[in-house]
Amino acid sequence: MPRLTTVLALCLGMAAPAQAAEFTWAETTDPQTMDPHAVNSTPVLGFLNNVYEGLVRRNKDMEIEPALATSWEPIGEGDGWRFTLREGVTFHDGSDFTAQDVLFSYQRASSEQADTASWFAPVSEVNVVDDYTVDIMTTAPNPIFPDSIANWMILDSGWAEANNATRPDKEAGNHATLNTNGTGPFRVTAREPGLRTVLEPFEGWWDEAAHNITRAELTPIQNPATAVAALLSGDVDFINPVPIQDTERLKQNPDVKVIQGIEARVIMLGFPHEAETLKFSEDVTDANPFADARVRRAVAHAVNVPAILRTTMRGNAEEVSQLVSPAMRGYSDANAARPAYDPDQARALLAEAGYPDGFSFGLKCTNDRYLNDESVCQAITGMLAQVGLRATLDAMPVQNYWPELRADNYDMFLLGWSPGTFDAEHPIRFLAATPDEEARLGSWNFGGYSSARIDELLPLIQSEIDETRRQAMLDEVAQILQDDMAYVPLYVQPLIWGAQANIDLTQRPDNFFILRWVTVN
Amino acid sequence: MLAFVIQRVIQSALVLLVVGLVAFSMFRFVGDPIDNMLGQERTQADIDRLRSQLGLDQPFPVQYVKFLGNAVQGNFGVSYRQGRPVADILLERAPATLELAAVSGFLAILIGIGLGVFTAIRREGFAANAIMSLSLIGVSLPTFLIGILLIYLFSVELGWLPSFGRGDTVRVGGWSTGFLTESGLKALILPSITLGLYQMTLIMRLVRSEMLEVLRQDYIRFARARGLRERAVNFRHALKNTLVPVITVTGLQLGSIIAFAIITETVFQWPGVGLLFINAIQFVDIPVMAAYLMLISVMFVGINLVVDLLYFSIDPRLRADRTKAH
Repeated sequence: MPRLTTVLALCLGMAAPAQAAEFTWAETTDPQTMDPHAVNSTPVLGFLNNVYEGLVRRNKDMEIEPALATSWEPIGEGDGWRFTLREGVTFHDGSDFTAQDVLFSYQRASSEQADTASWFAPVSEVNVVDDYTVDIMTTAPNPIFPDSIANWMILDSGWAEANNATRPDKEAGNHATLNTNGTGPFRVTAREPGLRTVLEPFEGWWDEAAHNITRAELTPIQNPATAVAALLSGDVDFINPVPIQDTERLKQNPDVKVIQGIEARVIMLGFPHEAETLKFSEDVTDANPFADARVRRAVAHAVNVPAILRTTMRGNAEEVSQLVSPAMRGYSDANAARPAYDPDQARALLAEAGYPDGFSFGLKCTNDRYLNDESVCQAITGMLAQVGLRATLDAMPVQNYWPELRADNYDMFLLGWSPGTFDAEHPIRFLAATPDEEARLGSWNFGGYSSARIDELLPLIQSEIDETRRQAMLDEVAQILQDDMAYVPLYVQPLIWGAQANIDLTQRPDNFFILRWVTVN
Repeated sequence: MLAFVIQRVIQSALVLLVVGLVAFSMFRFVGDPIDNMLGQERTQADIDRLRSQLGLDQPFPVQYVKFLGNAVQGNFGVSYRQGRPVADILLERAPATLELAAVSGFLAILIGIGLGVFTAIRREGFAANAIMSLSLIGVSLPTFLIGILLIYLFSVELGWLPSFGRGDTVRVGGWSTGFLTESGLKALILPSITLGLYQMTLIMRLVRSEMLEVLRQDYIRFARARGLRERAVNFRHALKNTLVPVITVTGLQLGSIIAFAIITETVFQWPGVGLLFINAIQFVDIPVMAAYLMLISVMFVGINLVVDLLYFSIDPRLRADRTKAH
């Protein structure tokens, strides 16, 4: 494509613009919607980060930096946060960005119809002080609030009202499902769901453009082999992801490059803490061995994670000891060691727990949700069998999987968790807190793990302003989870992107592809 | 005659009802659409609310009757994934599939008949035997493998043709066509070969065997005895009579081409209704799945109905109501 532009420019007898280029890329999933508040998922939020902006944004190292707000400061003793807004920002349709848009976007994104409402659970009210000052009040001191709203994108209130899109509509869709009007570096100039989405640079963007893209097109390609072929043949400039089995081959090809990193997603094994009996066992029908921490610890020692990473993941992932990866805020360095592979220790623990010959049970797994999930589960099944834990593997597509877990149809399950806030508090809230529908706690804690101390620490962690004290509490929670072996964390899922050799880009652990950091050489 | 037509139409409608019922009852095994529609921070309350909004909490027969009632009025509901009316999405995607099927069918008929005649006339020749052996590959290799092999040969190694998609399309009224642009035509080549290869070999073998049958007939011998040229005999006398059964089979295969397009469309990321259906399954997009399956069954039932009625009007033996002993 770049060549064509050059040829055209030469034909027309003018100098080609300095390295301006068209760019095409392919992802497995097409963003479901163009509405930034309708679906809280990586494909949607990642794509829309190029079109819409929040008050704050994340830089290349995932740190928070000013975007539509130039600064923010706590109000009083943790009553809330005051955001000073950037002046002179315009939306793609030319209307001005003011505090009214922030208020409107808060009402829209925290409404019942929105999928992003949970982000605003700590917020009591939002007050417009003047055109460029907004106070966001919280029910309790909330030190990580500015960090938690990088994906809360601001819509133009006038545009939404004029087009009857004041609330997201997940079921029937509305104007905002197919059209956009953000403040970000790119405008959506064509949107054909499932086929292609075209972006062009927004001339009136407030920030300095570091990219050299004149037009970008996203095409979903589901079939991994087709995506790799499209990259190799030069039909696309970038693909995400690259199948693990193709990484070696692409690395040896001088025309393309493979960009590898560590995602935020931790893959782990979960247990039925609350179940009275096993559901799928042939020999233990009157008890639940997994309620015993020694048995869970035996599982941890029996699974040879380094071997899984060497074989199934082909050296593309890293071991992990806790529910978040080292790249996350609040990672516990004090608990960085994970249980070593030690089958003898596993057998001893099982004997101690009263199962010297092990037992049989059912392991539930996905086969289309995480990288190589089914192969990983097959490997785990073989490793557990070495110590007498005879698992029957049941792998299924993810849309059948969650209903099964919700109905407690498992003896052990595989789970991946990526914290939306990039903070260690997130998995504690969703996976470790005692399930409580009212308080919106533990909604993914399928096994019903419960620790009074963790439940006591969680609200303190959420409202602690002092970093050191907060980290001490996070360390304590990580310690409890390790002692109890509530989950067995295995590894951090890798990110593997592929691009033409002439493309420079930045990979971020949240798997967002940020177009404004792309240069075509 | 009228009675027969009415009877067949009623039968077709019954078939459609049963297909709809079976398809609809199978959706429960495809999974739960709710998890795809809500983010990871959803609560049980959100799940329950959405479930009742979509009517998924109602008993299965109620859901089915509702679906039928709407479908009869041409309303197929709203896609869970795209939040747009399913009818709009299907109309948007249909041209891609129909163009691909048309080109595949055309290639299959043209090349199939040509090679069929060739292999029949040169029965003992080396080339004919080579073609017959090669045709076995066309029948036995799975579609997706043929597609991937073609992509790797013509896109990755040679760089002649695009590896995926439809190229640039032009809108003509409500129809998007790839016939009017160079990239659109280029993009058609590989997928239409992939999709048409099986039908091509089928037609070729059918033509060959029919042709061999016809060439043994007496009137061909007489034609030769009269001193007619070989070409006139082969093409004017023999081929004409060969094509009658071929046309019937080809007509029936038309439905298969459209239905089998699913795999080819997935391999080539071809934006037709087949790819839409595969995406719908992955997402448990029930309205789209239901509409697609109904559409395909309407097509098959329609083709069969037309064939039946044609036979009925051609073949007097089928007119059961008129057979009287004379």
